[in-house]
Amino acid sequence: MLHHIENRIYHVEILPPKQDTEKLTADLALFADKYNKALEIGSCICLTDNAMGNLAFQGTEVIEELELPVKSDQVMIHLNTFHTLEDLKNILNKCKALGIKYLLVISGDGSDRLPKLQAADLNLTDTTTVTSVELLSYIHREYPNEFILGVAFNPYEPAEHEFHKLERKLKAGAAFIVTQPVIESNEIINQLLNLYPAIPVVIEAWMSKKLHLLSEAVGYEIPENTEFDPIETLKMLHKIYPNCGVYLSLLSFKTQFDLLSETWI
Amino acid sequence: MKIVVCIKQVPATNEAKIDPETKRILREDVKAILNPFDHYAIEEAIRLRNKFGGEVIALSMGPDKAVRVLREAISMGADHAVLLNDRAFGGSDTWATSYALAKAIKKIGQVDLVLCGKQAIDGDTAQVGPGIAAHLNWMQATYVMEINILSPHQMRVKRMNEMGYDICLLETPAVLSVVKGINTPRVPTLKGRIASDRYEVPVWTPADLDANIDNLGLNGSPTRVVKTQPPAPRENITKIIEGAPQICAQSLINELRLRNLL
Repeated sequence: MLHHIENRIYHVEILPPKQDTEKLTADLALFADKYNKALEIGSCICLTDNAMGNLAFQGTEVIEELELPVKSDQVMIHLNTFHTLEDLKNILNKCKALGIKYLLVISGDGSDRLPKLQAADLNLTDTTTVTSVELLSYIHREYPNEFILGVAFNPYEPAEHEFHKLERKLKAGAAFIVTQPVIESNEIINQLLNLYPAIPVVIEAWMSKKLHLLSEAVGYEIPENTEFDPIETLKMLHKIYPNCGVYLSLLSFKTQFDLLSETWI
Repeated sequence: MKIVVCIKQVPATNEAKIDPETKRILREDVKAILNPFDHYAIEEAIRLRNKFGGEVIALSMGPDKAVRVLREAISMGADHAVLLNDRAFGGSDTWATSYALAKAIKKIGQVDLVLCGKQAIDGDTAQVGPGIAAHLNWMQATYVMEINILSPHQMRVKRMNEMGYDICLLETPAVLSVVKGINTPRVPTLKGRIASDRYEVPVWTPADLDANIDNLGLNGSPTRVVKTQPPAPRENITKIIEGAPQICAQSLINELRLRNLL
């Protein structure tokens, strides 16, 4: 991950098509287009796992179906705890077979339709709940040295609690951190960088103009009249966090993608 | 085993609207989904087929767009699907619906087992499964939480009741309605979805079923919707627990236990 930061490689989030789409062929074509574009400019493509609890196809199966090229340093798969054990193993085995090495391990958002990993699935006796910590431990144990595992850090949670969780994630094998989206300097992230100078940190930049969606995603209220230019904010974040990687969520491939080359100066 | 799964397209719960004149649910221009309880019936049918061999046929009665839920069943792993679609089916209550479905099951032929979700989330009647059994004169069990196939002609099922559960022995063919806890429904794969998009769903009319037209639609429906009204909104109460963290935590546990949430 340090290689990504040192070489100014963006992490570009792409959402696989939703399960309930009525235009699957068009959605797959759009996915392939975004994937290939991001790959071409050397970005690391980050594929979400049923983001916000909305049922979507797995990134690995879309890559396989569309026969998209995989460069092991340029694909990251999100993996959350809302799977059956069988599906989890399938995803991990596909990642291994495709040569994908970066996994972002998160607890995730569930829904009525998504199964949840059970403690018994992972042979856990000391807990009844599977969080990202247990999932990290499982992947480390069952797939030693196969993957480089990252975890999420949420600066909007109570700091003491979040740092305690982070400690557990690092002990369970996390090797890099991706923050929740920020649009300005964040005191808790500054603390994170001071406390863990050796751990690669990737800052998530919010690229949608719809700030209310960010409010909904992270659970803190951003005033509606806040002026926000995602590209200018991205440039500012590079200045504030020069030693961090940057993860672009909800990037517009129509209006923003071509401007990326001018942002990391 | 030849298993028929009866499924229904329903309005997404938060988008349901009722026609003030007819008192019926307005289904046009509302997002439609597969009845959530039917996922469990489809999953159970697929598991039984995978274990004992045979085939799974998804069956639904509804408008043209109900093809989508049948395709969803195919994408999960059902082998075939059939849609009952004709004006004559319109306005059917649970009795007329179960008559039409029973006729379709007879037409499919050699069926060992019919599975339904415990109820549809729009009508909430839980009557169609038992209605099918009545029309076919087959054995039935409702609220089934476990199925054990003992022999090609006999099964033992565990069914929920208010106090716990019953264990019932049934002979096939039989009709079972299943509850949420019976399994964890699979999420369709992309390959499954692509295959389902290519699947041409056969459409059957009353003529195909050799059905008596007087038993279908409004004419064949002995019940009428006289009045409907949305349920009273639940009252939201915010209770703030104050004090030292340990005392707050204990109070929270007590509150949750009082509400049977722990």
